[in-house]
Amino acid sequence: MPDSPLALIQAFMLVVGCLFFLVGTLGLFRLPDTLTRIHALTKADNLGLGFIVLGLLPSVAGPATAAKILLIWLVALAASATAAHLVGRAVRATDGSGEREDRA
Amino acid sequence: MAYAGSAAIRTALLLLTWWALTEGDPAATGFGLGAAPLVALLSLRFFPPSPLRPQPVATLVFSGYFFLRSVAAGVDVARRLLSPRLPISPGYVSYTTSLPAGSPRWLLANTLSLLPGTLSVTLHGRDIELHCLDTTMPVSEDVARTELRIARMFPQ
Repeated sequence: MPDSPLALIQAFMLVVGCLFFLVGTLGLFRLPDTLTRIHALTKADNLGLGFIVLGLLPSVAGPATAAKILLIWLVALAASATAAHLVGRAVRATDGSGEREDRA
Repeated sequence: MAYAGSAAIRTALLLLTWWALTEGDPAATGFGLGAAPLVALLSLRFFPPSPLRPQPVATLVFSGYFFLRSVAAGVDVARRLLSPRLPISPGYVSYTTSLPAGSPRWLLANTLSLLPGTLSVTLHGRDIELHCLDTTMPVSEDVARTELRIARMFPQ
């Protein structure tokens, strides 16, 4: 089992990352409408993935694998920002008043 | 000349991506060396070189700022969600940017979606419509700060 200080820090980072994903998912239940839910998902998951990437970096096989993990993070960031924008635009287009909609 | 420069930069970035994707496997290098320049040329047909080139130092400063602010964004949203009162007051805020069209404006819209409390909803010319988790926060000042940093990345 990991018992070096580095491994402990890594484990801590991975757990914190998962907790942020958990909080983002909690947002889906607690928040009132589509747009506020997207806030929770994009921001909390982005940070959660960041923690997981940082936690994994010290134990990768080589620099190329490290670059690959960082690339995954960057692409996920771009995808989540773009997807959030597209969903937001779709909600806005079907929602004239601009206030609460879609109370599920 | 700008065309050749862009082709070289894009080829280098594609090679770097290929190297990361294949995890540095030497067996894949030959294919990457052949494909990267071709894809770079193809990308130039779809996205011609822009006169706006990001400055390296300002880009690094912006990356650091973005990194710190996105951590703040995650912590902020987590704090609100975990608070029993759920302290949010969502609403729309409009912002008019002075950034030039193209990548700077696009970068601003995408960045704002990952920064605390804002989500870019529509982008029409200079007008960005934001959805805010808490409209009582100083949203416009925050956006202006981000805008300034992006403007420094693309000096005119």
